Amino acid sequence: MTPAWILDILAALMLVVAAVSAGRIVAARPWQHGSVFTDTDVAHLLMGIAMAGTLAAGLSTLPNVAWDVIFALLTAWFAVRVVLDARTNGGRALAGGHCAPHLVHSAAMLYMFAALAPAAGGAGMSGMGSSGSATQTLRYPTLAFVFALILIGYTIWDLDQLSGRRYGTTPARARLTGVPAAVPALAGAGSSPSTLPGPQAEVTSTPASTTSLAANTDDGTAALDADRSGKGSAAQGLLLSPAVTVSCRIAMGATMAFMLIIMI
Amino acid sequence: MSQVAVVGGRAAWRGKLGTEVQPAGARLDVRRALQLALAAIWLLDGVLQYQAFMYSKGFSQMLAGTAAGNPGVVAHPISWDATLVEHHLVLLNTIFATIQVLLGLGIAFRPTVRVALAASIAWALGVWWFGEGLGGVLNGAASPLNGAPGAVIIYALLAVLLWPADRPGASAPFTAARAVGAPVARALWLVLWLSLAYFALTPANRASQGLNGMIAGMESGQPGWLAAIERGAASLVAGQGLAASIALAVALVVIAVGVYLPPSAAKATLVLAIVVALVIWVVGEAFGMILAGGATDPNSGPLLVLLALCYWPVRASAAPAVSPSAEGKAL
Repeated sequence: MTPAWILDILAALMLVVAAVSAGRIVAARPWQHGSVFTDTDVAHLLMGIAMAGTLAAGLSTLPNVAWDVIFALLTAWFAVRVVLDARTNGGRALAGGHCAPHLVHSAAMLYMFAALAPAAGGAGMSGMGSSGSATQTLRYPTLAFVFALILIGYTIWDLDQLSGRRYGTTPARARLTGVPAAVPALAGAGSSPSTLPGPQAEVTSTPASTTSLAANTDDGTAALDADRSGKGSAAQGLLLSPAVTVSCRIAMGATMAFMLIIMI
Repeated sequence: MSQVAVVGGRAAWRGKLGTEVQPAGARLDVRRALQLALAAIWLLDGVLQYQAFMYSKGFSQMLAGTAAGNPGVVAHPISWDATLVEHHLVLLNTIFATIQVLLGLGIAFRPTVRVALAASIAWALGVWWFGEGLGGVLNGAASPLNGAPGAVIIYALLAVLLWPADRPGASAPFTAARAVGAPVARALWLVLWLSLAYFALTPANRASQGLNGMIAGMESGQPGWLAAIERGAASLVAGQGLAASIALAVALVVIAVGVYLPPSAAKATLVLAIVVALVIWVVGEAFGMILAGGATDPNSGPLLVLLALCYWPVRASAAPAVSPSAEGKAL
């Protein structure tokens, strides 16, 4: 069977992702007036915990039925977001949007918990390592394969975009809430497709002259109150940067694909 | 992504959900898109290598089995390698899997694309010998339906054709010609597909029940719908081995020469190539046996599709000649 120590390493990675996501939520200070937090951080936090509990022997989290409910809600939430997004942006909502990958992640997690064939020892979903991944299989393996392919596709795409500096390592600059999204230099838009986008490809800003501003970046990551962003530490800035969100998504997508494949 | 703004002590949704207009994305270079597809297949390949079966004796036995029928100079290193893997199974298989995952991630990560592609060529050649016994080319077991001439050698071919450099001078008529030039790219295509046509006509494949047995053998362990496809296809060619082999060989020859035809005719043969590759992947390879849980890779089907896309005619402007100074940044 797949060695337990490999599963433990991935479980540790998922706990790191969960911790980073929790850190991002806290750093965004949702309890303060005008602050902003993102649903993807919440989704990453929950998925990280659920996957760590699935991978690691002896790490028990919530009952499977609770995870079923949680990921059903997340799937419905991101499905609505994708539909609305598609009405505005058409096919780009799937190819270049940021809700579609999270919809796939949530749906894959829902499938994983719902389709697990009970192991001979009755270990359920807790601890692939404890009962041996060889005995943990998923019903409807075709679906697992399809999910794995899509997850791998998004992972590769995210890694390409991350290394192309589509996502900055500084927090998204603020802009007035309600102002139509512009983010002019994102994604190396308009740059030569065969060359690396330069540093100008990072998120630029519109003048931030007021408080209570919310960024609406293409990756949809954290926004900061304009004043706070100026005072924030470099570490906090990095934590809230789009690059960190996408890095978490890459780690999560690759690990999820791994889990689906080895449970076929 | 939605964001929740806490305004006036209450959480407030910023704007109307889902109505944010996304900025226009950058137009993705065709070659970069194909590189990413190759990266995805490498990543899938690596993940498959972590499956439970690969950590069992079955894996080393599978490696040893590829030595059978090969000349001694080819077979002995394979047997040595299989023995080594058997003795250090967990360590070596983890290294193998990790290398393949890193190749996929490395190709997707722009700063390392050249290193990863170069490493993938070396790795693929090694696996072709030590892991696939040269794809059965020398022992008569090769068939277009079972992944000949070895799926992994197609990885190496794709890495060469998708190398991130452009030959100066005339613009390339298709993506595969950008790095090596159109004559070399067409010659490589011709050799590959003619070799497949040749393998389709070997005695093992043209035997009365040759293809039937090969397809029927893929049914075991598959989900019901795929097993039904395999059964249906096997019954279709039952007793028709010679006729089916000839039909397949003719199609493969047409595909092989297609890249020398005018663009409109070339496109038709490339579509045929994609269809044949998909049929091979589904019927002959059963998706690389991934759904049965013992696949080391997705096999040759998706790689042949990707290869065909590399030869899809493009407008001259899609493959610009670049100066040597700019070449270093080309992806």
